[in-house]
Formats: sequence, structure tokens, C-alpha cells
Amino acid sequence: MNLFTEWGMPKMKFLTIAKKEIIDITRDRRTIMMMIVVPLLLVPVLMGTVFKITMSQAEKASEKQLKVRFIGQQYAPNLYSAFMNMEKTIMLDQIPADSIPTYIQEEYLDAAIYIDSDYQSEIDKDGQAKITIKYKGTDSFGITKDRIRSVLKESEIEIISQRMDRLHLKPEIVKAYNVTFEDVASDQEKLGKFAGGWLPYIFIIFGFMGAMYPALDLGAGEKERGTLETILSSPATRLDIVLGKFLVVMLAAFLTAFIALGGMAVGIQRIPDIPPEILTVINDVLSFRTIGLMMTLVLPVAAFFSALLLGLSIYAKSFKEAQSIVAPLNIVIIFPAIIGTLPGMELNGMTALIPILNVSLASKDIIAGVINPVYMGEVYISLFGFAGLAIFWCVKMFNREKTIFRS
Amino acid sequence: MIQVQNLTKDFSLNKKQRRELGNEYKDSKTLRAVDDISFECEPGKIFGLLGPNGAGKTTTLRMIATMLKPTSGTISVLNYDSVSQGQKVREQIGFMTGQTALYDRLTPAEMVRYIADLHGMEKVTFQKRKNHLFDILDMHDFADRRIARLSSGMKQKTSIARTIIHDPPIMIFDEPTSGLDVMTSRAIMDLIRSCKDDGKTVIFSTHRMGEVNQICDNIAIIYKGKLFFNDTLDHFKAEMTQPTFEDEFIYRVGDA
Repeated sequence: MNLFTEWGMPKMKFLTIAKKEIIDITRDRRTIMMMIVVPLLLVPVLMGTVFKITMSQAEKASEKQLKVRFIGQQYAPNLYSAFMNMEKTIMLDQIPADSIPTYIQEEYLDAAIYIDSDYQSEIDKDGQAKITIKYKGTDSFGITKDRIRSVLKESEIEIISQRMDRLHLKPEIVKAYNVTFEDVASDQEKLGKFAGGWLPYIFIIFGFMGAMYPALDLGAGEKERGTLETILSSPATRLDIVLGKFLVVMLAAFLTAFIALGGMAVGIQRIPDIPPEILTVINDVLSFRTIGLMMTLVLPVAAFFSALLLGLSIYAKSFKEAQSIVAPLNIVIIFPAIIGTLPGMELNGMTALIPILNVSLASKDIIAGVINPVYMGEVYISLFGFAGLAIFWCVKMFNREKTIFRS
Repeated sequence: MIQVQNLTKDFSLNKKQRRELGNEYKDSKTLRAVDDISFECEPGKIFGLLGPNGAGKTTTLRMIATMLKPTSGTISVLNYDSVSQGQKVREQIGFMTGQTALYDRLTPAEMVRYIADLHGMEKVTFQKRKNHLFDILDMHDFADRRIARLSSGMKQKTSIARTIIHDPPIMIFDEPTSGLDVMTSRAIMDLIRSCKDDGKTVIFSTHRMGEVNQICDNIAIIYKGKLFFNDTLDHFKAEMTQPTFEDEFIYRVGDA
């Protein structure tokens, strides 16, 4: 039978169904929690907390007292003094040489510097002195390595300049280029490429989560309560029923994603010590135009998720079965969203067609202000195409007796 | 008036279902739930569809209510064909099962309004009908309370109100008293009687012989999808060779 033969448009029964479903789900605490409370409160709290912890860890690492064991100080007394004079450093000369690896492993010691016995003779004959540094590469932010490297670099520059003076050479001999990098990317572009991937990640996840509970409730929940028969025996057609339910699930998905975006805006304001110039860029990014453009992407994504989830939900025998069918989908949708955040992934003719990934990549470009209209068009075609297919499939599921009365 | 002609319904079976049904269905791709049955339900009379669980009663009633499509045969409800004029058929019926089938987060007033809206009732007609039903069912006190917080008796009243809010000429009751206590069952039986008194066509399925004896004018006995009797209750009683209804039922389907 043609899906549209029983189209009940003149009486708009799908709107009656949608109206009832809106009343129903907005009275459900779990839906409200997922739709409003979680994105609006959890997102800013999580963002603020993560940022605070990261900042304090970085601060701690840079303030850290570096514990160094220097082996062979008699061969390189100047270098030893340079380390002695380095800020926030303690020289632990009393640690036995054979215990050094254990001390480093257990993080009692940050680094050991080994100087070869022929250090001075190599320096004197314009050769290369061998220095070995042992450290544990798992320490946060690579602070140990950076600080030791800076002392060695300074000492090396001094030795090289002494050698060049002696040989009457100009510094240009070993430095043929005077390179200046001038970055033409605007602050907005840099921020877009850096953080742009994460923004769609948030609203893709929340869009999905926002659709999940209403879809389960309006499909499998209705079956479980026995109310499906009530509406199936009413003059509403199957298409009316699907359309009414679908609209409400999509609205929930869209609103959740939108509220999550609002939550992020609040979260950013909560982050302490953001340089004012970055804050200006962020506020530019969160302009009406950018958010409006991104929301036009969220709409078909929400439609796609809603139809898919509603179809699966009506297939399930019970709410519990629906949950177990839908749970693995979380991973399926997160995967392309994560790929979109990887460096090097760009929106092109091909990636613009892959759903979810294209939202992630297009959002990056929208935030950076460099979106290509042709690719954007492709993204819309792809998303609306997939959403249409998902809706068609969902209607088919509702029309299948085996699905509706599956037990 | 409901006219059912040579009605058959097959359900396709998957491997798991074939296994569960045992050797009889090992090589069968379908299960015949309803097998070439014919009967008529007249206005102002109660037609009882009598049979044990799994006999095909619910499948038959769902086909009449257009929820399922017949594999073959026809159903005419007030001269509307159940397949080609499904929506017209659904406009004429009220469907009630043993489950109250209500939305917990709505109030009784909202619940009946929802069904009335789906039936396209005019606001004035709805208001009149609602007041009338809420009066006779004594529902005004809890009309605006969430259904989840109502007692089972209140829920049953709400379920009755939503089934008949649009005053349908055809009433379908699918084991409406199953799982209900004596008091609530009595309320349902009263409803069925009042539907008859109002001149509605009533079809009522049950596996309880006593209920049939109480209210039915005509009965059909269905077992394994086939009809074994289709006539008036008085004829059934007159033809009885066994001492009780139960014994007579088992005697009649015994060889099936």
C-alpha cells in the first residue's frame, strides 16, 4: 500500500498527536533532566572544572622543584654550576649512581645527567661532547625535558660563540637564514580550527541524547503501556501517528542541542583568566549568524536521529529492549564526531557527504568563518537525504504489522 | 452492523517462532490465526466471541478495528470496507481492552479530549458529551488529576470515558474484564449493556462462559482460528447436551 494513501492532512491529526506528546514528555522528569538540566548545568560545570584542573596542573608543573643528579661534575664544572644556578632546581649529589634508574622510575628524581670523561677534551678540540640525560617521559607537560634542554642550550651557545670568536667567524656562518613567520590566519580561524571540532561534538551528542528518551517513550513505551492500540484504532492514520511523534522527538533533539550550545556559552564565561582578546574572538564566534548557521545543520541531524531512534523504538517489544538496541548507537554516532575533531580532517567534496562527520567538519569551517558554500550545500543535501530516508524507514516500520504487534 | 465474510489471517513465522511452536510448524512458513470465519453483528445486540487464549479472538477484533489487514476475506463496518476505507471504519468504532491503556502523565480530562480531537469532535459537542459522561461516571472530582495518581477504579472509569467519548455506533470489547476485580468488571458489564440499550453494535470477546451467559444475544465459538458455533445464545442453550457451559464448549471443540 502506498504510504500516503491514508494521509490525514485536512484534519491535521498529526498536530493533535504532536500536541499531546509535547504535554506528555514535558511532564516527564527524565526528559526534562536530559533536555534542559543536563546540558544547561552539566556542560558549563564540566567545562569550567576541566579547564580549572588543566590550568592548575600546568601551574603546578611549572612551579615544580626539579630534582637533578649530575654524574661527572668534575669533567664539566661550568655546566654543573649552570644547573646549580637554575631556578627551582635541587642537585641531589648523594644518590648512588646505580640507584638512579629506580629513583627516576619511582619519581624521587626527575632527571640524571651523565657527562663523559672526555667532555673537556672534546670541547677543547672543537669536537662534540657526549651528554646523556635519563628522565621519565610520562611527567605532565614535558617540563623536565624543556628545563634541562634550556640550560644545555644556553651552555652550548656560549661554547659555540667562544669557538666562533676564536676562529673569527660571524654568527651568520652557522645561521644562513633569518626567518620570520607571519601568520595570516585570523584569531577566529585559529580558534575555529582548534576548538571548532568540539562544538559540533557537543551538540551531536546532546542532539542524540535529547532524542533518545522521548523516542523510546513514544515508541516502545507506548507499546508497553498498551496505549498504541488506543491510537491505532482512532481515525488517525499511521502516517499521522509517525509524523506527530517524529515532530516531537525532533523538537526535543533540536532543543537539547540548542540548550547544550547555550550551556557552552555560559561555560566559557565561567572559565577564569581567559585573555580578553580570546574572549572577544569567542564572543564573535558565538554570534547570531554563526549559531544560526550551525543550527541549520542541527535540524537535519536531529531529524535523522529522531526518525532512526523512533523506528528502532517501535520495533522493540519493550522499553528495556529498546534501550539495549539503542545503547550501541551512542558509539556509532560518537565515532564520526570524534574523527571530525582530528587534525588534518577537512571538509571536502567527499567528507561533506558523510553524515555526522560532515556536521563536525562544516561547523569547524563555520566557526573559522571559511565555509565553502558549495560544500555547505553538499552537507545539506546529504543530511536532508539521510533524514528523509530515516523518516521513510520509520513510517515503514509503523506500517509493518509484524513490528507494531511484535511480541 | 459488522459483516465478516470468509475472514482469514496468516502470520509469517521466523525460525525462532517455528522452533517455539514445535514439530507441527517445523516446515510451515505461516501460522493461520484466523481460518475462513464469517459472522454478522447487528445493532442493538451484543455479539460474544467466545474462545480460549490464542483462539484468534484478538486477531479478529484487530482486523475489524483495521489494525491488522486480512490475508483474505472481507469486513464491512456500517458498509465501510475495513481495508480500503480504514479511516472511515475507525471513525465509527470504540475499542476497549482489558488494559486501561491510558497515558499516566495526562489527566482524565486531557485523555478524553485527546481522543475526541483525534475523532475531530466539535468543541461544543465534546463539552456536552464530556459533561454527560463525567456526570454518569462520577469523574468530576478527579478529572484534573494525573492518571498515574488515580486508583484502578478511577482509571477504569477514565478508560470507559475515552472509549465512548465520540459516541461510536460500533463498540469493540477485547476481553475487557480480564485481570479486573469484581466491582470493576461489573462496571464494564454495565457499560456493555448500556451500549446495547443505546442501539450500538457491540462485539465482545471473552474466555469466560459466565459473562457470555449474562449479556450476549448472539455468540460465536472460535477455537484454533475456526468457528465452531455461530447463532443466538438461546439456540446454543437449547442445543446443549452437556450440563454446563464449560463442558459444552469442550465437547464442541473437543475433536479440533
